[in-house]
Amino acid sequence: MENREPKIVCFVCNFAFCQDEIELPDNVNVARVNCIGRLDPVTVVEMFEKGIDAVMLAGCKPPDCHFVEGNAQAELAVRLLKKFLLLAGLEPNRIKLVWYSPVEEENLGDCVSKYYEAVKGFSNSLESKQQQPEFVVNLSAIKNAFSNFQLRVLLGREKELTEEVNVYGEKLSQGEFDTLLDDIVKTEFIRQKIYVLARCVPMSIKGLSESTNLKSAEVLGHIVNMRRKNLIAFDHLEGQTPFYKALEVN
Amino acid sequence: MPINNNTQVKRRLPPCRSACPARVNVQAYVSLLQRGKYKEAVEIIRNDMPFPAICGRVCFSPCEDACARTNVDQAVAIRALKKLAADVERESGRVKPKAVPEKQRERVAVIGGGPAGLTAAYELAKLGYPVTVFERMAEPGGMMRYCIPDFRLERFVVKNEIAYIRDLGIEIKTGVEFGKDITLDSLQKEGYKAIFLAIGTQQGMKLNILGEDLNGVINAVDFLRDVALEKDVKVGKRVTVIGGGNSAIDAARTSKRLGAEKAIVLYRRSREEMPALSSEVEEAEKEGVEFHFLVAPKQIIGENGKVKAVECARMRLGEPDESGRRRPVPISFSEHQYEVDTVIPALGQVAEIASVPPGLSNKETKMPLVAVDPLTLETAILGVFAGGDITSGPASIIEAVGAGKKAAVSIHLYLTGQDIHEGREDGVEETTWIRNWGYVQKKDRRYKPALEKPRLGFDEASDYLERTERNAKFEALRCLGCGPCAECLANTDLCEVDKAIVDEALCIGCNVCAVVCPFGAVKKDESNIAKVNEDLCKGCGICAARCPTRAITMKKLTDERIASLALATLKEK
Repeated sequence: MENREPKIVCFVCNFAFCQDEIELPDNVNVARVNCIGRLDPVTVVEMFEKGIDAVMLAGCKPPDCHFVEGNAQAELAVRLLKKFLLLAGLEPNRIKLVWYSPVEEENLGDCVSKYYEAVKGFSNSLESKQQQPEFVVNLSAIKNAFSNFQLRVLLGREKELTEEVNVYGEKLSQGEFDTLLDDIVKTEFIRQKIYVLARCVPMSIKGLSESTNLKSAEVLGHIVNMRRKNLIAFDHLEGQTPFYKALEVN
Repeated sequence: MPINNNTQVKRRLPPCRSACPARVNVQAYVSLLQRGKYKEAVEIIRNDMPFPAICGRVCFSPCEDACARTNVDQAVAIRALKKLAADVERESGRVKPKAVPEKQRERVAVIGGGPAGLTAAYELAKLGYPVTVFERMAEPGGMMRYCIPDFRLERFVVKNEIAYIRDLGIEIKTGVEFGKDITLDSLQKEGYKAIFLAIGTQQGMKLNILGEDLNGVINAVDFLRDVALEKDVKVGKRVTVIGGGNSAIDAARTSKRLGAEKAIVLYRRSREEMPALSSEVEEAEKEGVEFHFLVAPKQIIGENGKVKAVECARMRLGEPDESGRRRPVPISFSEHQYEVDTVIPALGQVAEIASVPPGLSNKETKMPLVAVDPLTLETAILGVFAGGDITSGPASIIEAVGAGKKAAVSIHLYLTGQDIHEGREDGVEETTWIRNWGYVQKKDRRYKPALEKPRLGFDEASDYLERTERNAKFEALRCLGCGPCAECLANTDLCEVDKAIVDEALCIGCNVCAVVCPFGAVKKDESNIAKVNEDLCKGCGICAARCPTRAITMKKLTDERIASLALATLKEK
């Protein structure tokens, strides 16, 4: 454990938040949002990029959402974020979602303080990691993944997909949806990582496979796929080895 | 000049507000109470009517009947919330209204210091008219002061609310009787350009049965008024009240407090048809008041000029009459007697015939009432308007307030030489954003299991709210916020609501926004581009967080703003 105070950002739903009677540790900042479902996962990842050690989201305790299902949306986003953090080699608990209600006995200050203590136990601060290339690459991969169309559509349509039938009359069970999500999280993370790496310098498959700890065959599969989507293109040959470079997406 | 006239424009209103005769902005003050802003909440109520504390105590709260939450669980305890807000405000010190500089020269006379008259005076004073209120009794307040017993509506509450109205610069002349000290002619001669007649219905209706003149028969209105005047009123050991309205219940509860051992309320229909508030009936039962239903008095039997017994007949319910309630039909040979010492008829009130000016009376009704245009409240005499019980027959405070507001608008239009009929249709469209009630989660009050009734008893509710401040917050948070956003606090600086906007260049018509929007506020149009319906958008921003192409942003709280808010103070540290 480092002898250092962690930095925490706490996003609070406007409707769950009573401004009175809370006392916060020095390094905690509270930002109010209209609804905890308002929070774009990209914003959360940006917090980590800026060196914030942990992010706490406090939403209205289900079933009390002023916007009916904003807290369910937040829950799903947090679930995904945790998966990504794990893939990036960070503690998933750097994100914490708490349900909170102004009538609850425990007030928000207590929740935050408790979490603050837990965060102190994390191995190292993200501020110090800001210089490490791997950390930077991982985080921008997550950020890209969350800006990605496919993932956002899935996020937005979870309820529709799992609760109603699609145009073919099929219904996705929650389990099937989760597997689908897991799959997409994994591939998306790898692909975005490849993309981020190849954006800086043209990379060979071997180089990519070393930095992503994947077999070259798998990397090749991703590259083929990404070429089809116009995300990456052949750049040049070095001897017999092709090098690939990421394309700017607009 | 902008006038505060919510009955004028066709608007889409949440169910609570459209159910309220005075169109009090319920959603707005409840949403302020969610944030613990009591003072601001009371201010919002005062925009619409001058009696927050009084209505918080005795209104029959049609808003709660209409509350959309009754579709899911129980109505929000709106009345108790209002009472709490008004009480907190009062206890934090006397609030004075912002003084209105007298902008108009035409003097207005209001006859009758009850809820209708005082509201009209209040609204007109806010518009800058010099208003004089003439009241017959020693104190203004009408039925609120003299007919509702102290245990339901404390005198100091009434006094306080009237003091607020007085502070607007209204002159209240008490002890002036209409028809005796003043007449319509004399007022017009004195230079009053418009007159609002709101004298109410002051006389208790008669039973029209044998023995009504016996010693020991006292009409409920007179009885309650005498008690309110602190006269020495005596009741016998056994009291029977005849009727099923609120004054019947009040009379029974009052006589219990005056020492009656037994108080029986006789009502000719059954409990369901009773016009009294069910919460009042329950309270009365708790206090030991007995209720006998389907019983009607035939005659009062006396002994030595004093009441000895009431002879009654049993009734059964027949076909519905014109009021929609089932007509009671006597059952033959069912006569029986109640041994009593005091009989209090509480059958409703009529206007004193002498007080209705000739030429104004409404010939269509059986009761002596004043005939008015229901839209504008103008009478047959130019410049004379009438409203409240005197035109509608005995009704409630909030209806009188509604009439007062309507009259104030009419008088203002009349005095400024405008057409008082134009655009006065009271077109209100009830609205709520909820399409699928299955999505709305039950939110029971935390202190007890789910209740069967659509509404919470008032005393229970105010008990609950007063226990802790958080309870009040939670209760206010149960509000679904049905109305379109513009209904709530828009145009006030208290509004915190955000709106979504679509960058059409980025939108690809994937429809995710329509799926995630809980309010159905975002939809694709024919050109496959998302459009935000600002009336329905409540600014949660979920669509902005989920838009795959990030085409949707919020007007106020953009992603960048959230990020900068989150990092703001940390940077300094």
